[in-house]
This record gives sequence, structure tokens and C-alpha cells, in this order.
Amino acid sequence: MKRRRFIDFLLGGGIAGTIITFLYPVLKYIWPPKQSEVIVKSVVAGKINELAPNTYKIFKFGSSPGILINTKEGELKAFTAVCTHLSCTVTYDGDTETIFCPCHNGRFDLKGNVISGPPPRPLEAYNVEIVGEKILVSKRT
Amino acid sequence: MKRKLIFIFFVLLIGGNLSGEENNCIKCHMELEDELKAPAILFENDIHREYGLKCNDCHGGNPSVEDIDLAKDKTFKGAPPRNQIPEFCGSCHSNPNYMRKYNPSLRVDQLSLYWTSQHGKLLRKGDTKVAVCSDCHGVHGIRKAINPKSKTFPWNIPSTCGNCHSNKELMKEYGIPANQEKDYRESVHAKALYEKKDLSAPVCNDCHGNHGALPPELTSIAYVCRQCHLSSSELFSSSPHKTAFDELGLSECEACHGNHKILPPTDEMLGIGEKAVCIKCHEVDSKPYNIAKLLKQKLNNYLNRIDLAETLLDKAQKSGVEVSEPRFKLREVNTILIQVRDLIHGLNIKEIEEKLKNGNKLLDEIIEAGNSALKEVKFRRKGLIITLIFIFILAIALLLKIRQISKK
Repeated sequence: MKRRRFIDFLLGGGIAGTIITFLYPVLKYIWPPKQSEVIVKSVVAGKINELAPNTYKIFKFGSSPGILINTKEGELKAFTAVCTHLSCTVTYDGDTETIFCPCHNGRFDLKGNVISGPPPRPLEAYNVEIVGEKILVSKRT
Repeated sequence: MKRKLIFIFFVLLIGGNLSGEENNCIKCHMELEDELKAPAILFENDIHREYGLKCNDCHGGNPSVEDIDLAKDKTFKGAPPRNQIPEFCGSCHSNPNYMRKYNPSLRVDQLSLYWTSQHGKLLRKGDTKVAVCSDCHGVHGIRKAINPKSKTFPWNIPSTCGNCHSNKELMKEYGIPANQEKDYRESVHAKALYEKKDLSAPVCNDCHGNHGALPPELTSIAYVCRQCHLSSSELFSSSPHKTAFDELGLSECEACHGNHKILPPTDEMLGIGEKAVCIKCHEVDSKPYNIAKLLKQKLNNYLNRIDLAETLLDKAQKSGVEVSEPRFKLREVNTILIQVRDLIHGLNIKEIEEKLKNGNKLLDEIIEAGNSALKEVKFRRKGLIITLIFIFILAIALLLKIRQISKK
């Protein structure tokens, strides 16, 4: 191989390599990671008709869990699902229509107020809005 | 016109006196000194004053006249002797018809409860050193219990009780220790009350009662604790410990957690280590001893894996990799940890193992996610090195090309 061809090969290879390494982060940017880690103020917690009356679901509100409840009367309510006692994830007890913490049996009413057990504070309630077919849950300001 | 004005002035003056608006007790006592002046000053902030009561409503007499001899008429009772204070306060506070006028929801059984208390029993025997109403509620400056300045507001109660119960000299006579307040202030409950300002945290009266204060009986302590710690208490009741404790006459919660100085529970309380409570009763190599050892091992293993998962996720996050999903799952793992700690009170080994199994499954996923995230970090670093190599080659090639062109 002549010296000139070798230099041309190096130059071409270098340029190609550089283009690829520049393109890679660009493509990664275009196709972002599955989840974003930002401070969220509102999330889509589900779709309407997804929850039967007197049932619930846990949804992701940023990095914390939230609880979306469809009450017996068909009213949607959302709260943080982090118990104010020791930060366990709460669930909904349809029999008593209360929010229940499985760790130490803390109970909250459907306004988030403590009914019994060791939780010292009420659960933070979120706003629930229906936008099209989506249930949008947001922090109260 | 002048006559009319004089007439109105006299009507107002007489009317004012007749309706008892002028309080000559306060007027005179304000001119006195020290302990005779104090009631007049303190009464300014007294709950009774807020409800429109006057000195004569408790002490009798006639506050509308200035002359001291006339003021201290036949109805005048003055300050009651110490042994009569409960009946003195109870004359209104135990009268439902009277109390209903001011606060229909206020209880009227304080006096009858008081007579069942240790204080009341001793007072009846003639011991006037014991606490009476005024020792806990104050005199003349009495505030509602919901007022943070009240002596009976939750975070003031330890000091109120401690006024007597921390007095070594006084307590010596009754053969009871005087360290309860000090011990309480080091407890997890005091931490919740004073540091987190959690008013639901228990203070003296939540366990001992207030007007009917008594040392709780061994068997009733658990019922006191389960007012808040319902889950742990129910689990304990279903555990093999329940029968054993009853037979040995051990107090349920207190035997392991103590009483006034209830410290935050730690995992060290389980197992066979120095701080373990299991070895207080169980002999080395006995079956329960080995169960305690096994449970501690399983719990330690779970805790170590949580540590590993957290370390991996922290490392990945610091390197810029997105790990919110496994972090979300880690919350569930921690929920299971807290449940397991609670389940230990029930000693249902199968249930505990099942919970740990579920937690470990989640931990497998989280640890895998953490490792993948760290692989991604390595991959990105490798990519950076390759990029740098290419840039370096390009720079050299450009340099050589420039030299080649300049030679032509």
C-alpha cells in the first residue's frame, strides 16, 4: 500500500468513525429512555372506565407511588400512596371504604384523614381531572 | 338637658353595679403584692373568665361592692384547703346541667375518676401531698387543654407530671423512682412529640390515665400500646409468646420494649446478638434460640441485598443512568421489610418466609436492573474512549495530510 493511499484510508476511517460517534448520542436523544426522572407535578394515572366502582390502582407519581380510587359512588379520588407513618405503600380496602396501610394497620378515610393506627398525618390528596379518556392526577397548589 | 345626662349617668352606674360588671376582687387584688396579686393577674388568661365567670362563681362573696367586709359576705368561701380542692372544682365540673351551659361535650366524670386514682385514694387517706386538680391544671391561669400554653397540652404533660414525679425527695416517701420523665424524654415517643411535633404521640396520661391516673397493670399495658400499635399487638396475641408470657406473668410489649424509655426498635433486638431480646429468655441451642438465629440471618440477608440494590442504583444514577423504575420497586421492597419487622411479633415463620421470598424476588429484578444500568455506564465509557481514539486518529491523519500537501 502506498503512503498516500494509507493516509487517505486513515482520513476516511477517522471521518466515518467521528460521524458515527457524533450520531450515536443524537439518536439516543431522539429515542429517549423509557422513563424520565424529573420532578413531576401531574401524571396520567389511568384511563376512564379502567377502574370498576370501589376498586383502586397504584400508579407512579414521579418516583413515589400514588393511589387512584374509584369510590362506590363512582367518584375518582387520588392520594399519595406513601403512608405518613413509615412510608409503606397503602392500599384501598373496599369493604370498609378506607385506605389501609398493610404495615401497621393505619387507616385513612377517603379525604386522606387518619382514622386509626399510628400514622401521624393525613395522606396528601391530589387533584383528579378527566382529559379526554385519560385520568390526569396533579399536585394541589 | 343637664338633668337628663345626670339621670342617665346614675342609671348606668347603678345598672352596671347591679349586673355585676365591676369586679372589685380584681381591683383590690391588683393593688396587693405577690401571692395576693398573682390570682388577679393570672385570671386575665383563665378559661373561666373567657366564659364570663367571675371570682365569686368559685369563691363566693360579692365582687360588686368595694368594701372588703361587705364583699366577703355570708357566701364567701375563700381559697379551699388542699384536701377539698377536688370537691371544690367538682361542684361545677361534675354537674352535667351546669356544664352543659358552657360546653355540652365536656365530660363530667373527672371527680369520680379522680377518686379511683392513686392520687385520689391517698388524698382520701389524708395525704395532702398528692396531686389535686390545681397541680395539673394550674390555679387562676387555667387554659383549655388544646391551648399549647396549657399545663395539660400534650408536650407540657411530661413537665406537669414531672413537677412531682421527678422530685426524688417527694417520690422517696412513696417508694417510686423519679426517673420516669427523664427516661420518657429519651424515648421514641418523646422524639415523635418534640422533634416531629406529632401530637398523637403518647405522653404520661395516655398510658396511666389522667384524672383516674394509676400505674397500668401488667396485663393492661398491651391494651394501652395497641391503641396505636394495633397490628403488632394482634400479631403478638396470635403468637406462641402470648401463652408463655401470660404463664410467666410477663408484660406483653414492655418485656421487650421497656416502658418509659421505649427506644426506637432496631433489628438488633432480634436474634442472638448482645442486644437481642430473645436471649433474655431462651437458652443457647434451644429450639426458639435457633429460630431467632435463623430469622435474624434471613432478615440480615434481606437487608444486605437491599443495601446492595441501593448501592447499585445510586452508582448508576450518579453516572447519569435513569433508574426510576427499579427505585419505584425498591419502595415495595422496603414496605415488605417493614411488614416483616411487624410480622416478627406474630412469629409465624411461614408467613415471614413467604414475605421475604416476595421481597427477594423484587430484589432480584432490582439488582438485575442495577447491574444492567452499570453495564450501560461501562458501554458509554467505552464509546467515549472509542470516540477519543477516532478523534485522535483523525487529528494525526489531518496532520500528515497537511504535511503531504505542503511538501508538494
